[in-house]
Amino acid sequence: MLADYIQIPIAAALCWILFVTVDIVFRLPEKGGVKGAAAIGRKIGEDGGALPGGTMMGNIVSSPDASAGTLLAACGVYVAGLPGGLAAAAIVFIGNRICHDPGYAGTTGAVLASFLVSGFVVLGFAPENFIAGMVIAILTIQGLSHPYASRLLARIWGWRS
Amino acid sequence: MAELIALYVCGLIALFAAVRTVVEPDPYRKLPYLNVMNFAVAGLIVLVLVHPLSILAAAAYFVGSTLEANAIASARAAVMGDD
Amino acid sequence: MIEFLQIVLAVIVILGAVATAWSRDPFNKLICLGVLIGGVFPFIIAGGYLDVAVAVALIAPITTIFVLAITGRNGDGA
Repeated sequence: MLADYIQIPIAAALCWILFVTVDIVFRLPEKGGVKGAAAIGRKIGEDGGALPGGTMMGNIVSSPDASAGTLLAACGVYVAGLPGGLAAAAIVFIGNRICHDPGYAGTTGAVLASFLVSGFVVLGFAPENFIAGMVIAILTIQGLSHPYASRLLARIWGWRS
Repeated sequence: MAELIALYVCGLIALFAAVRTVVEPDPYRKLPYLNVMNFAVAGLIVLVLVHPLSILAAAAYFVGSTLEANAIASARAAVMGDD
Repeated sequence: MIEFLQIVLAVIVILGAVATAWSRDPFNKLICLGVLIGGVFPFIIAGGYLDVAVAVALIAPITTIFVLAITGRNGDGA
């Protein structure tokens, strides 16, 4: 099968596309789901970013969104295959309820990611590379440059709305 | 627990994110870096011990850290007058 | 646990501890405490104490929320 150092970037790209798509479909950049998200979004907007992108990043921090769902689903598939991923999705659902999250981006992302990762396992990928890939994906959005990432997210949000 | 490349990736990203969290001056902007570190630690939990309960521990850790980050951001917004 | 991971996590713990001591702003301190706990957590898992880990994972954020409730009411500044 493909070597790990080739699988991980591919997995990272797939996870990035999945969680950004699900979050944008669930309208995360529109407004802060909880109060902390709006504050973070405003601060990123003030410091040279774009407000919709900052709001989405605030929502990623403050509530279990598709990025959290994808990571936990990948962990679940790594331990126990597709049933493990769906069990992780159930836990994310409980987490969504605990955090009073108005949407279900986390659960949706977890379910979709379970099928995605299981599918690629059939193709010969190793599930732990999806765990590493998801961490890399979230690093590119939240860990490198907030202004640049928020502007990128705002542009993608512009395509949707 | 084998020598997975994924372990090294998650460990390095956790360290990088922890450093950026500590170095960043503004508390609101620390929170996304802290979130990256929490992602990496949640991944490490499952990679270190492959057991069904690890998923529960990783999920509990992640949801807990999300609640905590939200509490900090909301409390600061309330105290600072929505900044 | 492999040595690389032990060293990396230990560095994270020390980083979190020093940063907590050095910060002035109470919110900074709480965030750096989160870094410290994040570094300690995989050690608990590697020791096999999964039930302890789940308990700590739920109690540590609740502690933070209690601290915010106690100190946040005083209208602290930066």
